[in-house]
Amino acid sequence: MSDRILEVEDLSVEFRGVEVVHNVSFHVGRGETVAIVGESGSGKSVTALSVMQLLPYLYASHPNGSILVDGEEMLGRDEEDLLKIRGNRIGMVFQEPMTSLNPLHHIEKQIGEVLYVHRGMGVSEARTRSLELLELVGLQHAEDRLRAYPHELSGGQRQRVMIAMALANEPDILIADEPTTALDVTIQAQILRLLDELKGRLNMALLLITHDLGVVRKMADRICVMTDGRMVEQGESEEIFTNPQHEYTQHLLAAEPSGDPVAANADSPVVMHADNVVVEFNLARGLFAKKNVLTAVDQVSLEIRQGQTLGIVGESGSGKTTLAMALVRLQSSKGNIYLGETQINGLKSNELRPLRSEMQIVFQDPYGSLPPRLSANEIVEAGLKIHHPEMTSVERRTMVSEVLVEVGLDPNLQDRYPHEFSGGQRQRIAIARAIILRPRIIVMDEPTSALDVSVQAQIVDLLRDLQHKYNLAYLFISHDLKVVRALAHHLIVMKDGVVVEQGPSEKVFSEPETAYTKALMAAAFDLEVVEAGSQ
Amino acid sequence: MAGSTVAPTDGFVLDETKKPKWQMSPLTKRRWENFKVKKRGYWSLWIISTLMVLSLFAEFIANDKPLVMTYKEDVYFPVLFSYPETTFGGVFETEAVYRSEAVQQFIKDGDGWMLWPLIPFSFDTIDLNTAGAVPEAPSARHWLGTDDVARDVTARIIYGFRLSVIFGLSLTFFSAVIGITVGATQGYFGGLVDLIGQRIVEVWAGLPVLFLIIILTSLFEPNPVALLLLLLLFNWMALVAVVRAEFLRTRNFDYVNAAKALGENDMVIMWKYMLPNAMVATLTFLPFIVNGSITTLTSLDFLGFGLPAGYPSLGELLSQGKANIQAPWLGLSGFFTLAIMLTLLIFVGEGVRDAFDPRRSAT
Repeated sequence: MSDRILEVEDLSVEFRGVEVVHNVSFHVGRGETVAIVGESGSGKSVTALSVMQLLPYLYASHPNGSILVDGEEMLGRDEEDLLKIRGNRIGMVFQEPMTSLNPLHHIEKQIGEVLYVHRGMGVSEARTRSLELLELVGLQHAEDRLRAYPHELSGGQRQRVMIAMALANEPDILIADEPTTALDVTIQAQILRLLDELKGRLNMALLLITHDLGVVRKMADRICVMTDGRMVEQGESEEIFTNPQHEYTQHLLAAEPSGDPVAANADSPVVMHADNVVVEFNLARGLFAKKNVLTAVDQVSLEIRQGQTLGIVGESGSGKTTLAMALVRLQSSKGNIYLGETQINGLKSNELRPLRSEMQIVFQDPYGSLPPRLSANEIVEAGLKIHHPEMTSVERRTMVSEVLVEVGLDPNLQDRYPHEFSGGQRQRIAIARAIILRPRIIVMDEPTSALDVSVQAQIVDLLRDLQHKYNLAYLFISHDLKVVRALAHHLIVMKDGVVVEQGPSEKVFSEPETAYTKALMAAAFDLEVVEAGSQ
Repeated sequence: MAGSTVAPTDGFVLDETKKPKWQMSPLTKRRWENFKVKKRGYWSLWIISTLMVLSLFAEFIANDKPLVMTYKEDVYFPVLFSYPETTFGGVFETEAVYRSEAVQQFIKDGDGWMLWPLIPFSFDTIDLNTAGAVPEAPSARHWLGTDDVARDVTARIIYGFRLSVIFGLSLTFFSAVIGITVGATQGYFGGLVDLIGQRIVEVWAGLPVLFLIIILTSLFEPNPVALLLLLLLFNWMALVAVVRAEFLRTRNFDYVNAAKALGENDMVIMWKYMLPNAMVATLTFLPFIVNGSITTLTSLDFLGFGLPAGYPSLGELLSQGKANIQAPWLGLSGFFTLAIMLTLLIFVGEGVRDAFDPRRSAT
């Protein structure tokens, strides 16, 4: 692999005079996959964009370094030259397939655009080539899909279209910036396999930008680890995974959620149980329109015991979040739900209010789940004001401080506002808000999904500690099976609103019974496509 | 296993002395900094505030009563208290008319003196000693001349400015309270509440406001409060759409759900969690609503359907200017007062809007 198609040497990037990437060097050979790994803010995407010269150069500059594409310098080229290279010699696939396609043009036009510009093809020629490409990336019924608009396609299909566009001119280098992060695990496995196949077939260089070590291990020949704008380690994939040299790499590898759930007593009392919960949405618009019902959750029954965790896994659209919302009565539903012995469905909101302190919820997005205009202290103490009106403000403040310490936050920071905290700290505030009322059950809706891996592991540890300390029951929703395995005692696998499989978690993980669960496990742990799975 | 992880209880020392008593939130601070950077808005705010504060003390600046006077060794404050003419040896039981030569003579006889305000006329003082024909041109006695019944234009403008600003602010305040309440309710509850509310607002907004006001004001003699209520009937809709949209956007945010899960009641959620978001849009609109309110009052007065005769009204001054083209000081004074007042308010509004724009920073 001595044929270096991309060579980056001593590259730095500055934004408004602040250097964000420091002296980065790496190279990619033909037919080789190199992964740049790092957490958010590490400078990996900025590095990738500078290869394409796509940074906002009004503010950005490169104080030093060089980027050679097939021996030709990219830095300092004029825009016209660059246009000939982008999309032609170098293709790029972005993270968010929803926003990286133009919603107003059908996909034939979007793929065709690349061909008109770089190849000067005519309409019918471009059409033939587009079809070829869509078949290459494995889009089914490609002929019919040419006229489809992005919103008519699923996330995985959109990502395939993006890849087809990037490949249209058989580039020498394909840069994929988090190509599967926004996708479900089974789709992720398919896209990764596709990228790998295409790389081999077209003898491309693949530069993969990702935070997901599982993806890296599966795909990369060589790995570059970045943190704080520096490349701290690079080397052969095997070498890095087995024998990481740099402290940060070791930390990153150790950060994968691991360990077992808290030991639990199988006979502990049932905290919550539900029978045949059904949630339906009426999609019909207008007063007199015909009913058009979407069943988001269909006949789900479950029970959660004290000190135990019930994990609910499933891909997007499986109804797992809707189910959680129904259980904490934030979403109306049919079917009986009991909190302890009390039946809570059908209670009016003021009858339900005293019971609210016993069930709390933690949301996925720590940026959206904290009110932006209240300080951390006000956010955490809100529950106390409602359920313990007899407490004085001094008592409340003391208790808030205690709880913040418990979730690992410095109580001196409690008068700050959410935007002054990092993602992980915000999630800790959200957890503090939930536990300050000493609930019996906490519903966690993907509480770790928006966080960096190393922070994820810390939050998982914190949740286990709290569960152990207070004998809490968790309902833990996630699409990330690794996190679920580290926490859950029982598992429910959902698909399209229906429970596909349920049981003790070690049994479901070790001997999945249904084909869907098997496909999900293979995709999540081994990034393999199992044909029996969903398409 | 569970104990092997973070043990956070140590390491933090809670320093209670750091607890701030009161402080501007960092966001408010940043906005204030942004506002100050825009010199135009910043200075306009100072000028308009100064004018408003001054005009609140209009009685001490332009009045037909002395600020302080003495009569037979006693000190009197005619601006603050009403004294019958008999106090000063006159014959009438009614309040003394200090401008009249008779009363001035009584006081002189009692070895008294009078300290007059800067402008010795109130807005409704008819200057009987005017030299020429009315309207009288600007002179040292009447800085901006008199109107067609010999009242001092400067005094009328000072009082008129105060009335307009107070009227505009209160109309805006009450419109905002009603508009925000309606918009918030519609947006928060959504569904049928929103549907019905929207239809009512639409129908209400479709009414021909000006004609209705003209008809209603011709049915009874309006005073400022009645006129305020009347205009309020049609003015509250300005903010409904903005606030409703903001609440519709926010109602499904996770932090609103989290607040519901805590058991907060609807009022608290709307007030504490959601309203701060809507305030940005609302504040941006307010200066323009103030301006609109002032203009509405002025145009009603101009047409003669607003405040009854006797109130110091800028609209009436304008209509006098129109009726007396030979006396341009009437129209010009009215025009400049309104133009300067509205411009200053718009500049302030512009500054506020920019300061609240999250894409701008103080640098």
